[in-house]
Amino acid sequence: MIEWSEQHQAIRDAFRKFIQAEIVPHRDELEHGDMPPYVILRKMFATFGIGEMQVERFRRQVEREKSGAAVTQERGARGVSVEAAMDDAAAQLIPTIELCRVCPGMVTAMGVSVQLTGGAIRGRGTIEQKERWVPPLLTMEKVGAWAITEPGSGSDAFGSMQASARRDGDGYVLNGNKTFITNGPYADTIVFICKLDEGNAPRERKVLSFVLDKGMPGLTQSKPLRKMGLHSSPTGELFLEDVRVGRDRLIGEVEDAQARSGAKATFHTERTGVVAMALGIVEECLEVSTKYARERVQFGRAIGEFQLIQAKLAEMEVARMNLQNIIFSTIERSGLGRPASLAEASAGKLYAARAAMHVTLEAVQLFGGNGYMAEFRVEQLCRDAKVLQIYAGTDEIQISQIARSLLGHK
Amino acid sequence: MKILVPLKRVPDPQTNIQVRPDGSGIVTDNVKFVINPFCEIAVEEALRLKEKQAESEVIVLSIGGKECQEQLRTALAMGADRAILVLAEVPVDPATAAAVIHKIIEQEQPMLVLAGKQSIDDDAGQTGQLVASMLDWPQATCASKIDISADGGEITVMREVDGGLESLAFALPGLVTTDLRLNEPRYASLPGIMKARKKEMREVPLAELGLGATEKVKMVAITAPTKRQAGKKVESVAELVSLLHTEAKII
Repeated sequence: MIEWSEQHQAIRDAFRKFIQAEIVPHRDELEHGDMPPYVILRKMFATFGIGEMQVERFRRQVEREKSGAAVTQERGARGVSVEAAMDDAAAQLIPTIELCRVCPGMVTAMGVSVQLTGGAIRGRGTIEQKERWVPPLLTMEKVGAWAITEPGSGSDAFGSMQASARRDGDGYVLNGNKTFITNGPYADTIVFICKLDEGNAPRERKVLSFVLDKGMPGLTQSKPLRKMGLHSSPTGELFLEDVRVGRDRLIGEVEDAQARSGAKATFHTERTGVVAMALGIVEECLEVSTKYARERVQFGRAIGEFQLIQAKLAEMEVARMNLQNIIFSTIERSGLGRPASLAEASAGKLYAARAAMHVTLEAVQLFGGNGYMAEFRVEQLCRDAKVLQIYAGTDEIQISQIARSLLGHK
Repeated sequence: MKILVPLKRVPDPQTNIQVRPDGSGIVTDNVKFVINPFCEIAVEEALRLKEKQAESEVIVLSIGGKECQEQLRTALAMGADRAILVLAEVPVDPATAAAVIHKIIEQEQPMLVLAGKQSIDDDAGQTGQLVASMLDWPQATCASKIDISADGGEITVMREVDGGLESLAFALPGLVTTDLRLNEPRYASLPGIMKARKKEMREVPLAELGLGATEKVKMVAITAPTKRQAGKKVESVAELVSLLHTEAKII
């Protein structure tokens, strides 16, 4: 794939129009946390038939599983052409790219709800669990949160995890604190990741995932935390104090459901998503910077005439081309059913996060005093971009993953 | 009921329009083109009528180069059933456009033609009326509300006129042009965009209809509006009055 098709451009144009009409006028409220992003996201899902399409696909998946068909690669099972599978992948990435030009936080809120929370239950849950929780997450009718990070466990997510499940009759009693949880303050459906405490050493404990509903006795959801950027995505803490759950809330309903590898599959999805986010941010910075360089006059000339400004624009364009090529390759891989390895996804994510940070800082610099002012919006993208180097695995974690793969470590 | 919607490809009203130095037109490089907003309203209205009337078909029609496929495809993605593109190498004037639409109406025999009241590029506002007169059809212009009787035989059109609302009714077939407040056009949905590619788009060369670009009206030149001059601050009322007299020459 070397360019967006006419159909991809039609999708892009439709989303741009929606974003201009429905999001841009509310940007300040979203940025100041006065307006949670969910009403607009729901409207977007309904307008473009995204929820409906996802639910229909989900129903077909469940039907296949009920009929006992082997769970093969989704593409093969659906028997769709390479081209159709590529269009599917593009149709998922284009809204991310377009939203990130204006409001990267909305993508985070949406991605965590649909892809991470919905995806975790969809991937490892029993058929009953899928039917119970997944459809309303796919339409954004319900908001999902995926709770892994804790005050004392970030990059070493499983190693230092304190959250625990103890067996209690037929069910479990859950305890623990989670933090930096996207959608935490408003989530209706929460995937809670913890360790089964059988009295053994913490490092040897099994990792389990449970589905929790808002309002369950013992579950407290905090107010949104204040943060550097990404204000349109509400982030909070979760406190669990002796939350009693039945086995029906244990994802997969077996203790050997390999939640660890399930969580790792989630990392893969997240990392690809970050590349699309970075592309949107970089495209926007490049567009507004080029326009500004043409129009802003200093020393009697448009600043675009100065080589130091030209260097910034050229670097932004290089980043944009690289990111776009990673996205094109991701789309083609989806079509062929040959996803990137985890190390390759890490490499893409590492590059994307750094490129977005670099480009947004340069955009602020190019705009000078105006760049530091909120009115010109590049400072927002700059604060938002920083999170790409931290969440979904820090740059340092990506580097170690790439290196371990090169050196043949497990 | 078969509904025909002619639509025009025009520069996006949001773009900054620049006039070519020789006055032969506007600069079209890097300009985004869209469906003329009034035509888009006509497409939306046709789709709403289709949703109410079983067995309806919405056909969209455009006149111009291959690039008009893009706007027709958008209308198909919104939900129109099929498209016709009459290929013309040069821009056509309203009389030619009306003649083309007339020919297509003869071929397709629609019960209703819904057209935008004007295009935002040339602002001629003639095409719909010309088509109706060529066919000797009843017409209602600048519709702000449309109702069709249950049997599909009669149409009632509300128009915003000076001092109130005017309601017109006539038996179909007929032609209606659409105004701004008739509806708010939908966005093309993702499945809609994906299905659009498979829908029929018939291309008809202008010559095949036995028509050429007649050019009853000739565009002589396009000039940009004069740039607004910077204002001036005055010290006193006397100075203001004097300047209004000597410089502005309005008193």
